[in-house]
Amino acid sequence: MTKSPLILFAFLPAVFALLLSACGESPENPEGGKKVSALKINGSTTVNLPVAEAAEVMRERTGKEIQVDTQGGSSGGISMLGEGLVHLGMASKSLSDEDRKKFPECDFNEIQIGADAVALIVSKDVWSGGKTTITKKEMAGIYEGNITNWNQIGGPDQRIAFFNKEPGRGTWEVFAKWAYGSAGDTPQASFPEVGGNEETRNKVASTRGALSQLSASWADGKTVFALSVKTEDGKLIKPSGENIATGAYPMSRPLFVLSDGDPSGDAREMINFLLSIEGQKIVRKHGYLALADLSK
Amino acid sequence: MTRSALNPSCRRWSITLILSWLFTGVALAAVVGGLGLLLIESAPAWKHSGFEFVIGKKWFFRQSEFGAAPMIYGSIIVAILAMILAAPVGIGAAIFGVEYLPRKWRLGLKVTVELLAGIPSVVYGLLGILLLRNWIYEVFQDFDPLSGDTLLTAGVLLGLMILPTIMTLADDALRGVPGTLRLAARGLGLTATETALHVSVPQAFPGLLAAVLLALGRAMGETIAVFLVIGRQDNQWPSSILSLKPLLESGQTLTSKLGGSETNIAYGQPLHWGAIMGLGLVLLSLVVIITLTGAWLQRISFRQHQQHS
Repeated sequence: MTKSPLILFAFLPAVFALLLSACGESPENPEGGKKVSALKINGSTTVNLPVAEAAEVMRERTGKEIQVDTQGGSSGGISMLGEGLVHLGMASKSLSDEDRKKFPECDFNEIQIGADAVALIVSKDVWSGGKTTITKKEMAGIYEGNITNWNQIGGPDQRIAFFNKEPGRGTWEVFAKWAYGSAGDTPQASFPEVGGNEETRNKVASTRGALSQLSASWADGKTVFALSVKTEDGKLIKPSGENIATGAYPMSRPLFVLSDGDPSGDAREMINFLLSIEGQKIVRKHGYLALADLSK
Repeated sequence: MTRSALNPSCRRWSITLILSWLFTGVALAAVVGGLGLLLIESAPAWKHSGFEFVIGKKWFFRQSEFGAAPMIYGSIIVAILAMILAAPVGIGAAIFGVEYLPRKWRLGLKVTVELLAGIPSVVYGLLGILLLRNWIYEVFQDFDPLSGDTLLTAGVLLGLMILPTIMTLADDALRGVPGTLRLAARGLGLTATETALHVSVPQAFPGLLAAVLLALGRAMGETIAVFLVIGRQDNQWPSSILSLKPLLESGQTLTSKLGGSETNIAYGQPLHWGAIMGLGLVLLSLVVIITLTGAWLQRISFRQHQQHS
């Protein structure tokens, strides 16, 4: 028997050990003095747009490694920060007491970087079929399964293909709060679910009679169209920047970057940049409201 | 070396032997440990729902209702659909490759197909969103599907994904049939087709079955591609188990549920987390059952085969 297979075997445990140690080295201590190779950020696809671009700029300027992911949306950002897997979370909703209770060891710190609205978007055939507004009652009727065709509420004769944002998404929670007061009070319903903003836009655009909830800045007016909300006194309110800033549009929401306690080091730098004039310009560029727009 | 192989009593403790035991132990511990962990973590859900967890048809986590039956149904239907589409094509292609194509061509075909097997599943998923989803939506327009996200879409996509696996494994099985058998058959006056159907295929039958079952295992566990095109609609239980109508409706599989956002929400809530882990346990059990059934069928067909010869 030659020696070579034996040598190979001898190497395997070494490889194992290497793998194990590599796993253990992930950022267990995001803020502490330990040197961490990359700044890790995870969360909402909505907040991701400006943050990812800011990360791009930071990377170029400082040469630092920054990873921005969107696993699981807002609740993914909250839970990964809570577990210490990332340095910063991104969320397009306010943290609930429940979220805080789940991770008692994490001192969640919400840093608002802008604001956005949730739009109810429809596909082109619905829009050009004359359905451009929606009331809370109509939306509830669709959600509860009493309204299944657009012609029941003044639209074209087409079945309503409602794509529900999956639970845990900031978009869904804002929608639920508007339609039913809170996520817990929302009735039991099972619809096809969509996750990130890209998936939502793509699926609504390619389906006849489609309806879904989507970040207003993603409603491009070419493939998907944002319905105006009709209030009880008959006022039509578009999800426009002005209506979000004044609070007239009912489904607006703050955009947050989350940190565990007071951010320091690279995380601090990232947040400072997002709050700087330059960072706020990036927020505005993606169709969101900058902080200055809100205080107007 | 040769001496110890001939006489077991002379076997000594060598590094090779120790390491083999060690690695076998690690593999075994991983399986048993994983199963044990899933059992322990899912305990709250079993306590809460009992057997209802497997046969219950309603899943509303906010109301603490956990019934996995629609997801089990989705997983099985999608995998069977993929099987029905991929098995005849894959095995047929392998028969053609082995029995009819010249050697050089066959190798070229095999390499190409094996390349297909290496494409990451997220790529299949994106192609599914771009092409297959809309294609199904348009082609089946007469049946008025609500969207292109259907069990059928997922099944067709999975069928495409497991086709290379079936084909390359079936190819291996058919190539294992000794050439002398084929020569003898041809010598007796059988045509090439008769040789293929009456000699090669029966001889390779256990291997062909293994190919199909391995592919079925892969289809069951596939997540991301299915996730992107199935619609992820909970609580889709068919009015009749044999009804074809649900094929053109959205649904949910065990894997698409596990890959979704609920895993994030469930974290930190023992009951909900237990239910999610329970889904993992059910998925693992299904795959184990398929594998064991496959091994069992293989032995039966092998025995029959021995009696005939």
